[in-house]
Parts: sequence; C-alpha cells; structure tokens
Amino acid sequence: MLGDPRGHEGEDEVAMESGPGPRETRDRDEAEREPDRAGERTDERGGYLGFVAHEVRNPLSTALWSAELLARMPAAERGGPRGEKLTAMCLRSLGRVRQLVEDHFMCERLEVSGLTVRNEPVDLREVLDGIASRRTPGSAAPDIHIESGVSVEADRVLLDRTLDALVALASRENAPVRIEAESAGDRLRVVVRGHPATSDALDDPRKGSPGEPRGRALAGALARRAAEALGATLAIDGDAFVLTLASAAYTPPAA
Amino acid sequence: MKVPLVLVVDDDPDILDAICDIVGGEGYRVVRARNGLEALERVRTERPDIILLDLMMPVMDGLTFAASLRERYGAHGIPIVVISADGNPARAASVGAQGYLAKPFDIDALLAHLSSMTAGESAARS
Repeated sequence: MLGDPRGHEGEDEVAMESGPGPRETRDRDEAEREPDRAGERTDERGGYLGFVAHEVRNPLSTALWSAELLARMPAAERGGPRGEKLTAMCLRSLGRVRQLVEDHFMCERLEVSGLTVRNEPVDLREVLDGIASRRTPGSAAPDIHIESGVSVEADRVLLDRTLDALVALASRENAPVRIEAESAGDRLRVVVRGHPATSDALDDPRKGSPGEPRGRALAGALARRAAEALGATLAIDGDAFVLTLASAAYTPPAA
Repeated sequence: MKVPLVLVVDDDPDILDAICDIVGGEGYRVVRARNGLEALERVRTERPDIILLDLMMPVMDGLTFAASLRERYGAHGIPIVVISADGNPARAASVGAQGYLAKPFDIDALLAHLSSMTAGESAARS
C-alpha cells in the first residue's frame, strides 16, 4: 500500500503555523535567484557571441576590401606587386574567416553535445604529425618528442581538434612549440609548451586572445570544450598546457 | 598645397595595410599605429589632420587613447572617425568621435567621411 504523499496527517497545518522550514526557505531563495542567474548567463552568452562576431568582422573586412580594390584596379596592374599583395591579403583573410567559423561551430556543437564520440586506439604521433603538416605557411613546425606507437584510447577527430587548438595557443606570437608525453599510471599526460599558458586563454577568449592575427581567437574555448567531450582533463602546469587523457591505453616506447 | 595626413590606428596588421592602401591610393598622406600608445606618439610627432580609430586594441585601447587625446589637446582637437567591429555606435559617441564606421564598411563610405572631414584642408586629390 502506498503511503500518503503529503506525509503524516496534520503536517501541513503544523508547517503553516510555524512558517516555512529551512529547506522551503532555501528552495524559495533559489527560485528567486534563478532569473538573476538566467540573466547573467544570457549576458555572458551575448558577450561571447559579440566577441565572435568582432573577431570574424576584421578578416571579413580585409577580404572584402582587398577583393574590391583588386576589382577597381586596371586589369594590367593586377599581376603587379600591389595586385599580388592584395591577392595574398584576401586569401589570408579568408583563411582566418574559415578558421574562426570552423572553430565557432565546433564549439557550438560541443556545447550542445552535438557530436558522436567514437573511442578507438589512436597513435598520438600520427595525430601530431598531421597537425604539423597543416601549420600556417611560414610558421615553425612543433618540436614533437613522442615516438610512434604511443597510443591513447580516444575519438580521433576530437583529439586532433583539441591538440590542434593547444598547438595554436602555444604558438602565439611565433613562439616555438615543444610537445612531450608522460606516463601517469593508466593515463597519459600530453604537455604542450610554448607561448606561456594562461587560464584566460581557456576560460575567456575575450581576455585570452587579444589581437589574434591567425583566426585562432577561439582556440582556447575549443580546446576546453573538446577536452571535456573527450573525457580528458585540460590544465595549466607552470607555463604549459597539459592534456591528461582519461583511461588511456599507454604503450611505452621501446627502451 | 597641403595634403591632409590621416593616422590609422588598429592592432590588426591586415586591417592597417588595407586601410592605408585605400586611403593612400586616394592621395592622402598616411601614418599608422598599432595601439593607442603608439597613436599618441604619432599625434605628438606628426600632427595628423584626422584619425581613423579602432576601439579594441591591446596595450592602450581606443577609448583610453581618445580620453588622453582630449586631455592633451582639448575637446576640439583632431577629428576622430571610429572604425570598429563591435557594432556599437554608442561607444563612438562616448569618445567624442565625429564619425563611426562599422567594419566591414564600404570603401566609398570611408572615402566620403575623409572627404567631408578634410574639406577645410587643401584638396587631397587634384
């Protein structure tokens, strides 16, 4: 037999006579604070999206202006030094826009858990070599101190995006990047060292990426969300980013 | 004939290059600065006739620069046109700017601003 969901007979009357109990008071306070918190979340979200729009508008501007200046230029001059400079500017700016758009929509998909995570054994060196091969022309390749055969259990795409974002953060202002791996029991710590790591870079791109000229202003936000989706932890140790992969199947390299 | 001098202030190197190309291509003289602090130095040494000013910059932002400029040269000093990607014209008004252009603005809109604001100067293009 089910009991009376209202509790013991007469309990309501007692509660009314003695006023709300501590839990009821707490619940009411929580309920009253909820609109404030919702407002804060909306403000935060609005501020973040405003920052994303700001970051996109700068390279979009230079892409449009350089294309328009090329269009206004006499055809015979387009192959000259000014034409070449404007063409390079246009392509570089479009590359920045593409990177920002890709990072932004990846962040948004991760925010709403809109990606299917498929874990599998992944060779870490292979992923890092892929990232090095995609580096911006003119920038130095990361110095990778991880041998082939060091593998982790992870979603390959998410691991790639996480490490790619960390390398982008570490290579700010053309800082040389060094990547190492350390065994920590059944986990693997991937240490990415370069431009000094800050928590702002991960927590608030508005503070962490001022004047980012490569279209990677959202790299920190992306790294944090992708690491969460991977089930990994992302922390700062000294001046380095440390990605610790949960339940990693670590195969130490041969001595 | 004095050709008007335009100071372009922006932390984005491509934006600087593009605007200097646009403005210089119309016959104006151009100087550039990557932040507010550099811009103050350019104002001191070059005395530009008009300033195209970004707002969000490292080292010294556009708001702080404009306040310093007013402090040093008075409210009716060098005219400023804010060129910003923040989409908020109210911020331009708050720095006492005479014009506001939201990136990405039309090239002709920029040139129209320059033309009208340097009308007192000798013609830049002849």
